[in-house]
Amino acid sequence: MAENFADAKVLFTLPWNSDAITTVAFIGNGMVAAGNKRGDILVWNLPAPGEKTPDPVRRLAGHSNEINRLIVTHDGKTLISACSDRTVKYWDAVSTAGEPGKVVLNDGFVRAGVTEKVPKLADLPPPITANVMVQKPLRELTAHKDWIWGLALSRDGKTLLSGDDSGVVIVSEVSTGKELRRWKVKQWVRSLDLSPDGKTVVTAEHFPQLNAVDTDVGVRFWDTETGGLKSDASKELKGGMSAVRFSEDGKQLAVCQGNIDREGPVGKVYLLDPATGKKLREFAPGHDRGAIDLAFHPDGKHLFSAGRDRLVKAWRLADGTHVRDFGQGGKGLTESIYAISLSPDGKLLAAADGVGQVVIYSLNPK
Amino acid sequence: MFPLTHRIDHVSRRDLLKGVVATAGGAVVPNLGALFHSRTMAAEAKRSKKRCIVLYMEGGASQTDTFDMKPGRPTAGAFRPIPTPVTGMQVCEFLPTVAKHMKHFAVIRSMKTKSVDHGIGGYHMHTCYPSSERVPHPEIGAVIAKYLDDPESDLPSCIKMGPTGNYGSGYLGPLYEPFQLGNDGKPPNYTAPSVAPEIQERRSDLLQFMETDHAKDHHAAPFASHRTSELRALRLMKARKVFDIGEDWAKAKERYGDTEFGRSCFMALKLAEAGVPFVEIGQYGYDSHVDNFPISKANFSILDPAWGSLMGDLVDRGLLQDTLVVWLSEFGRTPAINNRAGRDHFGRAWTVTLAGGGIKGGQHYGASDRDGFEVAENPVTEGDLFATIYRTLGINHRAKHYLGSRPIWATLEGSKPIKELLG
Repeated sequence: MAENFADAKVLFTLPWNSDAITTVAFIGNGMVAAGNKRGDILVWNLPAPGEKTPDPVRRLAGHSNEINRLIVTHDGKTLISACSDRTVKYWDAVSTAGEPGKVVLNDGFVRAGVTEKVPKLADLPPPITANVMVQKPLRELTAHKDWIWGLALSRDGKTLLSGDDSGVVIVSEVSTGKELRRWKVKQWVRSLDLSPDGKTVVTAEHFPQLNAVDTDVGVRFWDTETGGLKSDASKELKGGMSAVRFSEDGKQLAVCQGNIDREGPVGKVYLLDPATGKKLREFAPGHDRGAIDLAFHPDGKHLFSAGRDRLVKAWRLADGTHVRDFGQGGKGLTESIYAISLSPDGKLLAAADGVGQVVIYSLNPK
Repeated sequence: MFPLTHRIDHVSRRDLLKGVVATAGGAVVPNLGALFHSRTMAAEAKRSKKRCIVLYMEGGASQTDTFDMKPGRPTAGAFRPIPTPVTGMQVCEFLPTVAKHMKHFAVIRSMKTKSVDHGIGGYHMHTCYPSSERVPHPEIGAVIAKYLDDPESDLPSCIKMGPTGNYGSGYLGPLYEPFQLGNDGKPPNYTAPSVAPEIQERRSDLLQFMETDHAKDHHAAPFASHRTSELRALRLMKARKVFDIGEDWAKAKERYGDTEFGRSCFMALKLAEAGVPFVEIGQYGYDSHVDNFPISKANFSILDPAWGSLMGDLVDRGLLQDTLVVWLSEFGRTPAINNRAGRDHFGRAWTVTLAGGGIKGGQHYGASDRDGFEVAENPVTEGDLFATIYRTLGINHRAKHYLGSRPIWATLEGSKPIKELLG
């Protein structure tokens, strides 16, 4: 792969403007799933570079509100979604069986920067449709009573962690969906991740207010078995964090700031000590208006962040160098890149672009 | 014998009023208006013994996410409606405690207002006049204080807490100037006497002697205003006990929510019980140009238990019939969601609610169109809303005052109370 991803380029732009696309996840190296604010999940098979832009092939139907997170089990067989309809759903990630159906790809409205003078909703363009197989969930978890933002899997694939806006973290068994235990953290869970050894859950917590004060946000380390608080990194980190991610080997822990859209380069990205939460490094310059998602590259050397400035940034872990930006970006009032995902082989990057498209980058086009 | 060895009688609000006018020497003082022109109206309003509590959502609360939801429409957003005990009335899922009391609510879904920025909108929705007028209009609390004031009470008649803005008593004069408590409903520190009561009394007498003597030769309004403020502060010290809600609050805070807004709503209940005619409480943070849904959800988690518990306690204590509770903002928010997942300022079709005080509850008044962009039925102006509030409280919404020789009315010409809501 070229140093600094210098040769990276857009491979496909998958249009889907029904509502803002909020989540994205690779299924293996050849498929990508994306979820939107309407509660729909679509799956695309990615062809070889140079081939025609694909239509989605599957629609995963069942959610009724904003999809906040998508993850895939390590064996690549199950897709798990967390939603503001208060459910977690499991889906068959690879099956092509289902009911034939259609999906309209452009029945959403273009969102203006300022809407005060918008007289009414614009007329929709002629529909662009795709034939899909409509699939139902394999399982639904209904234990949460509030919007679910945090979702993480143990490295052995046996345990699922989920966290919600009422501050409840639930540990459940993947194979059965059975709840194993739960505990309450201090604020609303915005994001969480589980250390690779399975012993520590790190939560990014917040209470989203325009005039947020430091006591409204936190990053905390919890004992997975007991739910006891192990350490609290909140004092060191100012501002609400929107994502927390462990690297695959557990030696790195990254958080990014941006739970609420705020003016200025407030989207800072940090590396923390995975055991104590002590700040080790800040990656600069941060995203304008906030950073929303993080993903460690499988090469173990890079970290990617997605921001409200409609950019994806790549960082070198060893020295914090800002390697490059992906995307058009946008000054002022723009949609966000809500989520990113890296393929298991590290060759592809998917970005959930709020304007209504999933952008697939080849990080190594040669 | 030095006159100050005689204790001066407790200065009642009635004496205060006379003293101010006398001090002014009968000259026309612009900011005192012509108080006695509306004496009959005031007497009539006072007989009603009604009170008003305003809950002011600073920044502009979204009607589409509270009381005028558009389920299934592109403007709906992330919140879902829930049913209430009143058939046909739904509210946001994140206002479940408020929802229980909908039989008391009149939900005006057709506010059509002109000032859609914070400063001018706040002024307009507090005075019913646009800020472009070069007249010091009094804010609604000052007007209500004037007409429903109890001169014998030591408590201020217009009390505000939190981010409500301060638009003042305007031409009604300093006597009706709003009194500001802390954001959590606690009185300011200066009202805590620093000396024993008898020493405070003698200090007050000395001060009054000196100022009355000074005022004989100095007939300017600022001296009268200053004296008014002093006397109010002194009388407030006597009434300070009303604000001591610590013990009661400890029992109530689980229901109201242990927040500044929750505590302020509980204080409002106590002040209503004590007969204060007007209390306004502000809640910060509704200007959700970005991330409207998580921010509103967090705001409602504070608003709902506080407001719902206030309604419940007013009902349980038999106070709701005489206490009008108004929920409003400077404007609403756009039905269209912008590209930062927010909603912007909007005056074309938004919502205010009225409950209690004799309002006919359990109904909507007016409607917006399918997606909430325009009023579809029964537009309500700022003046109409104020007229409805004043009439509910027994105040003539066309009460006339004078600024010098210029007549000014409590509401704009053409303002009409909504008769369908009047009990």
